[in-house]
Parts: sequence; structure tokens; C-alpha cells
Amino acid sequence: MKKFYHLLIIGWVLYSPKFSHASLIEEKNCSACHRLSKVEKEKKGPDLFYAGNKYQDTWLEEYLQNPVTLRKAGTINNPDFLKRELQNPQQHPILNKNDALNITQELMLMTLPGLPEEKINPLTKGQIAKTKYEFERTFSCISCHQSLNLAGKPRGGISGPSLVNAGNRLKESWVANWLKNPKIFSNKSRMPVYKMNNETRLRFTKFIMTLKKENLR
Amino acid sequence: MIKPSLKFIFNYGILMLVIGVSGCGEKKTEKNITPKPPLKTESQTLELGEEVAPEPVVVTAKTRETYQWYCAQCHGIKGKGDGINAKFLTVPPRNHTKAEYLETRTDEQFFKAIKFGGLSVGRAPCMPAWGNTLKDSTIHELVRYIRELCQCEAL
Ligand code: HEC
Ligand code: HEC
Ligand code: HEC
Repeated sequence: MKKFYHLLIIGWVLYSPKFSHASLIEEKNCSACHRLSKVEKEKKGPDLFYAGNKYQDTWLEEYLQNPVTLRKAGTINNPDFLKRELQNPQQHPILNKNDALNITQELMLMTLPGLPEEKINPLTKGQIAKTKYEFERTFSCISCHQSLNLAGKPRGGISGPSLVNAGNRLKESWVANWLKNPKIFSNKSRMPVYKMNNETRLRFTKFIMTLKKENLR
Repeated sequence: MIKPSLKFIFNYGILMLVIGVSGCGEKKTEKNITPKPPLKTESQTLELGEEVAPEPVVVTAKTRETYQWYCAQCHGIKGKGDGINAKFLTVPPRNHTKAEYLETRTDEQFFKAIKFGGLSVGRAPCMPAWGNTLKDSTIHELVRYIRELCQCEAL
């Protein structure tokens, strides 16, 4: 019986990082709009239970103080999603520097165990050009995601999150995992499943990481 | 690594000049879209699967939900081709309620367009391939549903 309780406690610590670390997140009631574990029902904000795998900490810290709109059509679980482009994107709670720093640290601890890390070599210019072509034509990613065109202007559809600043926002390994198996993160995705071979998938990952707002012109 | 990369720059540079910039997100290059033989990539090398629809194909509430979940992003909630992505695409999403064009296309063409994407039937690449997302039986139902929306059959 004692053993059983031990297991329970270990399991609790392992699988509920939100209880063990995320006190400020609870205090600020972020879970009103964000799932902090996969077993919860879908909520109107993007999932944060794997925030530590997905986001770069510098980006999070900045976002929490100075939120920007990434989903002009709202999030996919929003009842109004697809009805219209948001005129006044809903105001996101704004945190002060200190809270932003602390919550970022809490968010970085929310990870899914066992995600493979992938090491990807930098792309040659030729590979970038090839991937850009495929991003826009062969796989039509641009139909749903904004990225940067040759002139450094944002272009593309808005039903998926903007990728214009993806290189500063997302972690490379997370993108590689998302393109391999989105089901790890979400059972209900609106994005088509792509069965890319490894070479293509890693090339796309690296390409997405080249998209940065500094390149906006 | 340097030699092949130069070749890439050359090949793709030319490609980009001719058609590359006419992806799916830039309006002004609309006229440059020429039906291009699809590039050979994974999305084109799927098996075509069973060609004939298993009888009978019935449109259910689930079919409509599937259409709303995926297709409405571009084709619109009512299938009128006015989804939220529509105005950002080079080629407008097909209006699924208009019979004039749709009756000139066969069910097989619809099936192929949905499973392998627009390029596979000589249409624009902005129509993505759903073959890895949806089962063949679901795609057959979606074809029937589009026939319901346009209230038309192939001539
Ligand atoms: C009223 C609902 C609501 C509350 C409360 C809320 N958020 Fe959000 N949050 C959203 C929505 C909606 C988005 C997506 C906005 C967009 O994409 O333009 C978002 C986006 C984010 C993002 C960016 C993630 C991404 O992928 O774009 C982070 C990080 C975030 N929220 C953290 C927090 C934290 C931390 C709190 C608590 C202090 C919080 N949120 C409270 C609704 C909320
Ligand atoms: C039909 C529209 C559509 C197409 C086409 C599409 N996506 Fe997505 N994508 C989405 C949506 C919607 C999401 C948001 C999450 C979800 O629905 O699961 C998303 C999420 C993503 C994300 C995660 C971004 C984030 O901040 O959460 C990446 C990266 C991504 N897509 C890359 C791609 C790439 C690369 C391609 C082409 C190979 C592509 N997408 C094609 C709709 C699309
Ligand atoms: C990313 C935007 C997008 C999404 C999502 C999308 N489509 Fe399309 N679709 C298009 C565009 C653009 C065209 C027009 C292509 C052309 O005319 O060259 C099209 C054309 C079509 C056609 C007509 C093909 C022909 O023969 O002319 C059918 C059928 C179709 N789509 C079905 C679907 C179904 C079913 C879904 C959901 C599973 C879907 N589409 C999702 C953009 C999209």
C-alpha cells in the first residue's frame, strides 16, 4: 500500500508540472483560456501544456508584456473561428516585467516527456529557394500561413498561426516534431497531415526557422 | 556541398523567375499561373487507392462537420468559395454552390483533387492534398456533399 502511494506521488510530480511549479500561472488564472494539461477540454486560447517544448523563452517573455496577434481569424477552437477576420483582436492580459519573467520560467518547465531532439544542419541558399518553392506551391502551406515573400512582405492565408516570426518564436525541435506527428500535441488539428520524408521535413523545419520579423521590409 | 547548391540556385532561380513567385499567396502574379506538371514529391506519390466508390455513399452530419472543420477555411462555411483565406490566395477557392463549372467536372476529378491536391487535376496548388488526413470513404462522402451543395451532377 505504501508503495502505491509512493507511485502516486511520483506520478503526480511527473505528470502535473502545473501543480508543482506553476503557482503564478494559477494565480493569474491563465487556465481560464489555456489548457495546462492535455486531459482538459479544448479552450479558446492555444495549448500551453507543452510550452517548454514549443516556445523560445525570450519570445515568451516579450509576448507576455507586449502581446501581438498571431491568429487573425482567432484560434481554431473559437466558436467564431472562420466567421470573420477579427477586427479588434481580443486584448490579451498584459503582464509586468517581473511577472512575465516568472511566468516564462514556469512555462518553460511545462514539457512533454520523451520528445526527440533533432539536430539539423543549416540550409544552403539553394535549399532555401527549393523549400520556399515547395512551401508556396507543392505543399501550399502559404494558403493558410503568413510568411515572408521575396520582397520581405508578409503574405499568405490567416487560418493558421502566422509564421512571419516563427524563427524567433518556435523551437526548431518542436517544429520538426509537429511536422512529423502533430497528434502528439493535438488530436484536433485543422492542418492537413503531411507525410514528408525525413529530408524534406527537416528542410522545412529549418526553413521555417529562417522566418524572422527582422527580415520584414 | 557547394557544387550542388550552385546548381540549385541556378535551377530554382530560373524556376522562381518563371513561376516560383506565383505561389498561393500573391495576387498580382495571377496571370502567370500556368498548369505545370506537378513536381515529384511525397504528396504526389500516394497510391490512388480504390477508385470506385463503395456503394452507397451517404452524406451524414459527420461529413458536413468534416467539411466545416477543414474545407471551410478556404471554401467558406456555406461552400461559396469565400472562406477567411480566400482573399489571400492567388487562385480563388472554388465556389461549391455554382453548378455551371462543377457539372463539367467528374466525381473522379473531385476525388483526385481532394486526395492529391489541385495540381493533380491541373488546378492550382492552393488546393492542398488531404489524402493523409482523410480516409477514402470520407473523401467519397465529401464529393457527394459538394454535389449536394451545387445541386448538380457531372454532365
Ligand atoms: C481571455 C482569455 C485568455 C487569458 C485569460 C489568457 N490568455 Fe493567453 N492567449 C489567449 C488567446 C486567444 C491567445 C491567442 C492570440 C493570438 O494568437 O493572436 C493567447 C496567446 C497566448 C500566448 C502565445 C501562444 C501562441 O502560440 O501564440 C501565450 C504565451 C499566452 N497566451 C500566455 C498566457 C498566460 C501566461 C496567461 C495568464 C497570465 C494568459 N495567456 C491568459 C487567451 C487568453
Ligand atoms: C488548410 C490550412 C493549412 C495548411 C495548408 C497548412 N497549415 Fe500549418 N497549421 C494550420 C492551422 C489551422 C494550424 C494551427 C493548429 C491546428 O490547427 O492544429 C497550423 C499550425 C502549424 C504550425 C504550428 C504553428 C503554431 O504556432 O502553433 C506550423 C509550424 C505549421 N502549421 C506549418 C505548416 C507547414 C510547413 C505547412 C505546409 C507543409 C502547413 N503548415 C500547411 C493550417 C494549415
Ligand atoms: C487552403 C485552402 C483550401 C482548403 C483548406 C481546401 N481547398 Fe479546395 N480548393 C482550393 C482552391 C484555391 C481551389 C481552386 C483551384 C483551382 O481552381 O485551380 C480549390 C478547388 C477545390 C475543388 C475543385 C477542383 C476542380 O476540379 O476544379 C474541390 C472539389 C475542392 N477544392 C474540395 C475541397 C475539399 C473537400 C476540402 C476539404 C477537405 C478543400 N477543398 C479544402 C483551396 C482550398
